[in-house]
Amino acid sequence: MPLQAPQNTDDPAYWSAQVGRIGAQHDTDAFMCLFAHFGPRLQRYLTGMGVPPSQAEELVQEAMLRVWRRAAQFDPCRANVSTWLFRIARNLYIDSIRGEPHWLTVQDDLEMLDALPSEDGATSAESFADGRGLDRAIDDLPPQQARMIRMSYFEAKSHSEIARELNQPLGTVKSSLRRAFARLQGALRKAP
Amino acid sequence: MKPHHHPDIATLMAYSAGALSSAFSAVVSAHLSVCRTCRDRLRDTDAIGGQLLNQQEGMPLSPGAHEKLLARIQQYAPDAVPAPPETPARHDPDLLPAPLWPYFGRSYRALPWKWIGPGIHHIRARDVTDDHLMLLRVAPGRSLPMHTHGGNELTMILRGAYDDTLGHFAPGDMADLDCDTEHQPVTAPGVPCICVAATDAPLRFSGWLARMLQPMVRL
Repeated sequence: MPLQAPQNTDDPAYWSAQVGRIGAQHDTDAFMCLFAHFGPRLQRYLTGMGVPPSQAEELVQEAMLRVWRRAAQFDPCRANVSTWLFRIARNLYIDSIRGEPHWLTVQDDLEMLDALPSEDGATSAESFADGRGLDRAIDDLPPQQARMIRMSYFEAKSHSEIARELNQPLGTVKSSLRRAFARLQGALRKAP
Repeated sequence: MKPHHHPDIATLMAYSAGALSSAFSAVVSAHLSVCRTCRDRLRDTDAIGGQLLNQQEGMPLSPGAHEKLLARIQQYAPDAVPAPPETPARHDPDLLPAPLWPYFGRSYRALPWKWIGPGIHHIRARDVTDDHLMLLRVAPGRSLPMHTHGGNELTMILRGAYDDTLGHFAPGDMADLDCDTEHQPVTAPGVPCICVAATDAPLRFSGWLARMLQPMVRL
């Protein structure tokens, strides 16, 4: 019987704690609770990217399996669970649907780099988006910027494709996306 | 290596969204492998993707998806936390950035350069079907013909350096150019300038000599 997703789902700390339990205790209930919430969202994301539904379901299972196996490596100081899941699903999409055989290795290697102290001793910036703040910031974007962001993230359209479809110069698309990022950036970091 | 010129944030957003071709992604990955600043910025762009993912209405999974997943995880114990990576082996100056290995091999010494014009050699990446990915080697102290770009061009300097109206570009630096940019890079004296470049349209050279070279060069 499927578990019901809990209510406090827009609190990133709640999900980080669930992943913590999966990592530390191999907690099946926490895992299935994560699946109840994110599984259907991953399915929506992947079908939106043009993956046929049955193949998308297969990728959702694959993504969740990665969550199960790598939960102990999840670092709540560096990302939200939703960010982590987005990365996992996008990487699997690029690997298996776009058929880029090197992508997963390259991404794993890049993530390892941040576990090392850098040559100049700096540690990477703490990133911890407050879900609600970022939600509001996304909702407050001007419609044109919001549309471009969605075309990019949910349909994997290139800047040139977005420019063609919206009948805008390429430079306008890029500067709109830059402005959108600037508006969202404030909500992306925990206030110091 | 601490780069001073970075990819446009719009380019990082496209990388994060999975919306770049493999040629452009390879150049961005090579820059990310040497630039902590951009790895941090990429986490921000990934966080936008994560939040959008979370905001969506879910799409129902088929009945039985739940049981299937439960059965699957019984077969796998979670991975052990990997040991923190050891201090990386001393940087071997003959190694290309790791993200470029699949396209060009690992060693600068072993690169099979092809002559395409006075002082200019290049190598096309193998197995890239979308857009163009190439290495370019330009002799020191040489000025390239003035050119504009029909589309987008993303270049990362690997060795040597060049100067143009946009500034000084040294190893690790990235030039993220679109069709509005006209530039004439001049390579620094000393060592040849080697860079990796992705383009989605042929370069357009201005000037009669450059136009004459164009069919031969076909960059």
